[in-house]
Amino acid sequence: MGTKRKLLTSLLAATTVLSLAACSSGGNKAANSGASESAAPPSASSAASSSAQPSGGDAPGWQADTSPITFDWYINFSWFNSKWGDDVVAKYVTKKTGVSLNFIVPAGNENEKLNTMLASGSLPDFITLAATDEAVRKMISGKLVLPLNELADQYDAYFYKVADPAKLGWFTQPDGNVYGYPNASSSPADYEKYGQSFTSNQTFEVRKDIYEAIGKPDMRTPEGFLNALKLAKEKFPEVDGQPLIPLGLHEFTDTGNYSLESYLQNFLAIPQQKDGKLYDRRQDPEYLRWLKTFRKANEMGLLAKDIFIDKRPQMEEKIAQGRYFAMLYQRSDFATQNLARYQKDPNSVYIAVDGPSNAALDAPTLSGPGISGWTVTLISKNVKDKKRAISFLSYLISEEGNKDLFLGEKGVTYDTIDGKDQFKPEVVDLLNKDRLAFDQKYGASYKYWMLMDTNMNLQWAPPSVEPAKQLEDWTKGHSMSMSEFDNLDPPPTTKEGVASSKNARLWGKTLPKLLLAKSDAEFDNIFDTYLKDRSDQDAIEAYRQQAYEANVKKLESLNK
Amino acid sequence: MNANAEAPNPAAVRAFGSERRKKWLRKLYRQRYLQLMALLGVAWMVVFNYIPMYGILIAFKDYDIILPMSQAPWAGLEHFKEFLTDDNLGNVIRNTLGMSLIKLIVGFPLPILFALLLNEIRSARFKKSIQTISYLPHFLSWVILGGILATWLADVGIVNKILLALGFIDTPISYLAEPRYFWTIVVTSDIWKELGWSAIIYLAAMSSVSPELYEAATIDGAGRFQKMRSITLPCIKGTIAILFILAVSGLLNSNFDQILVLRNSLNESASSVIDVYVYQTGIADGRYSYSTAVGLIKSVIALGLLLGANYVTKKLNDTSLF
Amino acid sequence: MFILKRRTPGEAAFDWANGVLMLVICFLTLYPIWYVVVNAFNDGTDGMRGGIYWWPRQFSLDSFRTVFQSSGIMTAMGITVAKTVVGTVVHVLFTAMVAYALSRGELIGRKLYMLIGTITMFFGGGLIPTYLLIRDLGMLDHFIVYIVPAMFSFFDLIIFLTFFRDIPDGLTEAAEIDGAGDFTIFLRIVIPVSMPVVATIALFHGVYQWNDYFTGMIYINETDLQPIQTYLYRVVAQASSNQMIAAMPSGVAVGVTSQSLKLATMVVTTAPIVIVYPFLQKYFVKGFMIGSLKG
Repeated sequence: MGTKRKLLTSLLAATTVLSLAACSSGGNKAANSGASESAAPPSASSAASSSAQPSGGDAPGWQADTSPITFDWYINFSWFNSKWGDDVVAKYVTKKTGVSLNFIVPAGNENEKLNTMLASGSLPDFITLAATDEAVRKMISGKLVLPLNELADQYDAYFYKVADPAKLGWFTQPDGNVYGYPNASSSPADYEKYGQSFTSNQTFEVRKDIYEAIGKPDMRTPEGFLNALKLAKEKFPEVDGQPLIPLGLHEFTDTGNYSLESYLQNFLAIPQQKDGKLYDRRQDPEYLRWLKTFRKANEMGLLAKDIFIDKRPQMEEKIAQGRYFAMLYQRSDFATQNLARYQKDPNSVYIAVDGPSNAALDAPTLSGPGISGWTVTLISKNVKDKKRAISFLSYLISEEGNKDLFLGEKGVTYDTIDGKDQFKPEVVDLLNKDRLAFDQKYGASYKYWMLMDTNMNLQWAPPSVEPAKQLEDWTKGHSMSMSEFDNLDPPPTTKEGVASSKNARLWGKTLPKLLLAKSDAEFDNIFDTYLKDRSDQDAIEAYRQQAYEANVKKLESLNK
Repeated sequence: MNANAEAPNPAAVRAFGSERRKKWLRKLYRQRYLQLMALLGVAWMVVFNYIPMYGILIAFKDYDIILPMSQAPWAGLEHFKEFLTDDNLGNVIRNTLGMSLIKLIVGFPLPILFALLLNEIRSARFKKSIQTISYLPHFLSWVILGGILATWLADVGIVNKILLALGFIDTPISYLAEPRYFWTIVVTSDIWKELGWSAIIYLAAMSSVSPELYEAATIDGAGRFQKMRSITLPCIKGTIAILFILAVSGLLNSNFDQILVLRNSLNESASSVIDVYVYQTGIADGRYSYSTAVGLIKSVIALGLLLGANYVTKKLNDTSLF
Repeated sequence: MFILKRRTPGEAAFDWANGVLMLVICFLTLYPIWYVVVNAFNDGTDGMRGGIYWWPRQFSLDSFRTVFQSSGIMTAMGITVAKTVVGTVVHVLFTAMVAYALSRGELIGRKLYMLIGTITMFFGGGLIPTYLLIRDLGMLDHFIVYIVPAMFSFFDLIIFLTFFRDIPDGLTEAAEIDGAGDFTIFLRIVIPVSMPVVATIALFHGVYQWNDYFTGMIYINETDLQPIQTYLYRVVAQASSNQMIAAMPSGVAVGVTSQSLKLATMVVTTAPIVIVYPFLQKYFVKGFMIGSLKG
């Protein structure tokens, strides 16, 4: 017995020591690296908004060295399914610049992959992720990424020539540095220049044949809206033997439903701020009036159960079947199915029409491109070759780089036809017919979208064709920038952040209940309970207001 | 332990003690290769399981992935408190335990029954075919299967068509829209998917039974059911007991992928389980400390359940893990 | 034939009922697979309209062609096969070896070892400490990361243990008297007489290795070392990235993956492992242990 116990304790002690040792060694290592990072003094040079460019650096840096090099490039989108080097564009760019890319794409939960890399402090050369991603802030505060301005000062002044000062200004951090460059970003100046051709993804669609058969009713008022749904259902109770779904929406998630939040609010032109104070759009009377209209629709049997339970694959299937009469939905999701419907019967496609409007019948204010863009790309402090990296980044954001990635190689994928550089006919044909095959063969038209400038491409893009064109054109002139409202939410690990996501989930639970309420009185009750149950709302609003004011200040300084 | 308390002659005791030690050392030496085998396993566990276990500490800290764990400020029991005082906790636990218990009561015996019946099939080829076919659904991933189920269970789906044709229902039902069907859907689809797969281990156990036992019983005039009851079952009893103990310890777990694809805004009240809830409140927002705290609570309970179940099976039928 | 003659009417009825029941189970499990396969062979856009239950409406091999044209899919298949074969052999041998040691009642410290193991079934450090460990061991971006961190499982050990306990003591004792060492006994006697459980664990772990995409995602950055499951995840992931796509400019087309393509990818990525079972079935024959003893 005695010996046994002794053995046990000594073994236990051994394991404890081992694990303690591991603990402290792990800790030390991380601490050391942390120390070495912070040892490097933060640069005071703020090149971002300054117009003073370092002298004598006008030649593109990427031309100086075109020896072969492979960069690892992390893309934080699990669906990104491209390998560099198989297509015309990749081969052309590698030939030109010497740069090959090894894309690292997490085939799984993106956050898990990114967080392990952040925790270990080891990031690949380039990192691309959503501009609003919390990890951007973490990478910067953890000093895991290099300031682009410092890299440019040191290695490639050409960067300043091709970078948009407004975008650099918008992405300048409190320490005066710029760490990431956006794609698909449009500055206020871009709005002045291209604003009329800017589109939005937010649309209200109806099935053309049904809509015409019920006499093209005006659906902007609650009465007209309900009436149209009712007429459609009465006249076309079934589509190919299955019940018609009068109204389709986005998927209901844990935090609510896009269609019934920003989409509807934008259609109703509800302001996001009043006199510099953020406005709670959810409590706007117009908004509540329309939510009650949807409730009424449910009471009238015009909301199918499907819309509460379907996820995206089911919705794709139902769009293909034409089961919906009307939808408040992103138009990009119609592309494939609408094309198939169009080829069968041009009259059975979904078209965009005027949707829910406020009492004054104001035009909608849809969310268009903003200066935040879609993603940002950052350069890791572990980058293998700083000079080549910043030079390649400059190339990608330059007009030349954008053209190479959009149009490809002259004579192969594009030519100057009728005095305009554009895709060859067979290339456009494949693009419109089979995007997958197009990507595999040519890789043009921004298969590699990491640093695309969506405004530059307007000069090269082939004109949209029906049926997508109608949906796209409808949003022109209604799209506006909402950049000042980007990234207002408190970081999720803070006290406000925890409360904020709790409230978001509360809303996600409340919204279906509002629609399913038996009467307007019950609706009001549920809504009041929701308002009452929100926690720490004051603190959250204070944080958001502060973030908003900072955004506004930044935008103002850009216009100077 | 206290050997020398009453011993009159310390020398004799020492001799006795050293005698024991010698014997023990001899025994240890004799089994040195066995010890090596076991210690290799222990070494592996120390490296891959025990070294990373310092990560549990973040349950008591406010960890932000950018800083090393050692630098994170202490948070005490705050994360535990947040979980245990959550308004949704009751509902979440009810759903988790509800589905797990039904799975245990219905889903645990069925593969055994299936294996027993399969074992009675005379034609070897037929038996093998069924064995192979029944394990196929295990390979359908839940994301894809969820999509298929959603189509089948919809108001215009094949399930309603069949039930309407048979006259069981008058109007189509949107099954996934009703909370009251949710548990049934989850348990049934899980059993269907894993029936053949779970039966494999019992079939393996049955194939270890000596045919001589059956022959002897046949000579004694035992019928099929008698043989099943008095030979097959007792022979696989140990396997059943062990798997039961392990199943009990997993009561707080849910099939995350399955629940995730089947839940929606209408059945939410029946479909919120611990794993999904922690995903929403912790993991999705990168709140590692909080999700670790919940994981720790679950682990402690699971270990308790394991020990409890182990104790009970030991008393009842003399099989146990250790 | 000898047995058939002795069937009582009750037994015959039971056999019939049992056979019918098995056929029903067969149908219930086979039909969904059939559904997946016919939809995979149907044209993608047409398939979106749904309603394909028994036979492809517009037969098409396009989905399969697309899957096989994906760049690097053959390399990925090779990686998956290699990690499944090597991983399974190593896992089974190592876990069975430890289990054998722990199945011997006389092993000093047995209870302690069991305790150490039981704890690992419930407590773990989580993803980030494990990642840091794997990094410090220098296993990132090495094939070995598929093998070594997965070579042992206490859960599987317990299953081995329940089977090893039933091995008659006489068997090992006889070998010991013949002067065989523990390793010899383990390899020459214990493993051969335990083929049913070896086959079971090999199947369990083989399927785990085949289906595991997580290890490749977290620990491997090299594209050429990624397993085949990566492809399945990617086509399926588009469905779940709803939120992301909503925020994305409309210029970037993430082509909608048709259900057919998803199903075809699933068929291609799972078919090879599915056909392994029939080959393992010979180890599930009744009376295996005794048979091998006599032989």
